[in-house]
Amino acid sequence: MAARPVVSVFGLNGAKLDATVPLPSVFTAPIRPDLVQFVHKNMAKNRRQPYAAKQQAGEETSAESWGTGRAVARIPRVGGGGTHRAGQAAFGNMTRGGRMFAPNKVWRKWHIRTNSNQKRYATASAVAASGVSALVSGRGHRISGIEEVPLVVSAEVESLSKTKEAITLLKALKAYADVAKVSNTRSIRAGRGKMRNRRHRQRRGPLVVFAEDKGISRAFRNLPGVELVDVTRLNLLQLAPGGHLGRFVIWTQPAFEALNKVFGSQTEASVQKKGYTLPIPVISNPDVSRLIGSDEIQAVVRPSGPKSMRRPFTQKKNPLRNTQVLVRLNPYAQVLRRAELLGKNKKTKKYTHKKSASAKFLQILKAD
Amino acid sequence: MNNDGIVWEVLNNQFCSFKVKTDLGNLCRHPYNVTGRCNRRDCPLANSKYATVREHGGRIYLCMKTAERAHIPAKQWEKIALPKNFAQAIEVIDKELIYWPGWMINICKQRLTRITQYLIRMRRLKLKNKTTLVPIKKKLERREKSREIRAEAAARLDQSIEKELLERLKSKAYGDQPLNVNESVWKEILEGDAVEAESDVTTEDELEDEEEYEYEEEAAGGSGGRLNREFVADDSDADDSSAGDDDDLEDDMEDFGDMSPSDFSSAEDDSAGESEDAIDEDDEDGSDMDDSDESDSAKKPISKGKRPAAPAARPKPAKRTKKHGPRVEVEYETESAVRDTMLTNW
Repeated sequence: MAARPVVSVFGLNGAKLDATVPLPSVFTAPIRPDLVQFVHKNMAKNRRQPYAAKQQAGEETSAESWGTGRAVARIPRVGGGGTHRAGQAAFGNMTRGGRMFAPNKVWRKWHIRTNSNQKRYATASAVAASGVSALVSGRGHRISGIEEVPLVVSAEVESLSKTKEAITLLKALKAYADVAKVSNTRSIRAGRGKMRNRRHRQRRGPLVVFAEDKGISRAFRNLPGVELVDVTRLNLLQLAPGGHLGRFVIWTQPAFEALNKVFGSQTEASVQKKGYTLPIPVISNPDVSRLIGSDEIQAVVRPSGPKSMRRPFTQKKNPLRNTQVLVRLNPYAQVLRRAELLGKNKKTKKYTHKKSASAKFLQILKAD
Repeated sequence: MNNDGIVWEVLNNQFCSFKVKTDLGNLCRHPYNVTGRCNRRDCPLANSKYATVREHGGRIYLCMKTAERAHIPAKQWEKIALPKNFAQAIEVIDKELIYWPGWMINICKQRLTRITQYLIRMRRLKLKNKTTLVPIKKKLERREKSREIRAEAAARLDQSIEKELLERLKSKAYGDQPLNVNESVWKEILEGDAVEAESDVTTEDELEDEEEYEYEEEAAGGSGGRLNREFVADDSDADDSSAGDDDDLEDDMEDFGDMSPSDFSSAEDDSAGESEDAIDEDDEDGSDMDDSDESDSAKKPISKGKRPAAPAARPKPAKRTKKHGPRVEVEYETESAVRDTMLTNW
């Protein structure tokens, strides 16, 4: 973006205030969906708790194979007698009551370490993506009534303490549709998770980012789907849930202004992340197809060839039989050939037989 | 910041809430998508410059989106109400989308065509009286049928009709010399009058006599019974009707109140002719005469004795109440039209 655009601030009643904030540089960070997906995957694993099968599971028998000659498969079988279990197969992953294939171990690497720079890049991308209305509505948030993206609310919002006030604010901002979506989509989880304390599922609503909690968290925390976060602790798992860019974010004005300190810019180092500058995009305008189709480039580009090229040399042709190929290899052959043909023409003058010998010949013949 | 290429990359490869994957290919559920397909060209999210034609409440709008309003979701789409005239609408599209990509203009026009076509079809369908299918509920039908039978039996219609008829005879509603009355019955009534002068009415005798009179039952039962409802245009029945028939015809007429006067022939002569016949059969009509006379007073007089072939005109059948019990003739111009309304209004 050439000039730093300016974002308007909205008051508690949803009306646009005169105050404006210049757009922080984060919103111009390159949007890298691949990186975000990678980092998100790793970060999502950090919350895991270990699980494993019991160490001795399936091996608590003294089964031995019966070997050959007994008309049974050679899998180890439980010894002894007097019970159903005797003679049953054991120890294999394919047997009933046997040990599973590659039993899970608790020493699996549950948490993944990601480079800080990558993590920061991903967060910056996610913040930038939250400023693109197309991505936010594509992700599924109901923002058709919102007056501006990114949505910045005045600092008074941080002092709200009643949920009722929070609701009226959201309704004034036309952001309540997103919250309503969450409560409408609350449903019971399919599967065993129901009985494992994960009974309900619902969509994600708006993410409210503040700079100082003067009561705002208490106002918004009971609203379904609404998440609150301090601007200094922006979390990729909240900015790009599921690795999908474009969370609907509601910023308070102090938080929005603080973003410059949190992320810095491409030239200026960040205050919070020591020495960190925003990534410089490899290509400043990523819309390559538009670039190619633009008038400036089309004017200097040579005309395109056929859509599909014919393969040049698919069959070998014998030069001794195909004159064109012969000439391609030996251009002088054309001259030779031509001369030959002309000579042949000369030669093929018809030879007329004389009916009788000539007089001179007879004279010589009869002379002694 | 807002970059179409990136948006498409993200939505196509990651997740788009409007994308629907089907056997026919990817479709787009976005309400502003002009074709309904999910591809780079048709995506309303991945193109900052986009135009669609949408219909709302019967009115067609041209909706346009430009990059300048990309950050204001509330005002993103510029809606222009297209004129109802199709040719003018095409012109408006041409004017508004001038210098826009040619394929976009063409698709908007195609969409406009399709929308106008289906709107026309919708309007045409609304004008047709489409019969709605109502399922027959067996239990209900069974229950109602048996209830009807029971109610009819409990009502004892024939007895009440008999009573009514006898009361009318007694009250001399049919005059001093009523026709089609059994001599003995008439005598009884006359004697009853004489007796009444002395003492109270002996109801028991009358009751015994009433039971024998079948003709009244026939007359009453044939037209008064709910079982046979035949909607037939027939003049003769109306003329020969007794009081009972008149009542039933009146029921029918109430049902026909919805029908427009055009459904009935407008021959005013008929009613006048009818009134002539009424005069002949004086005794039967009785009180009916007054009403028919009043209604016919405004109409042209017709030669006596002529029974017109065409049926009577009925100015406002719906307003006539049961008390007056006028004689009405009904003719149904188109049987099918009548049947429909009859069937729905029975």
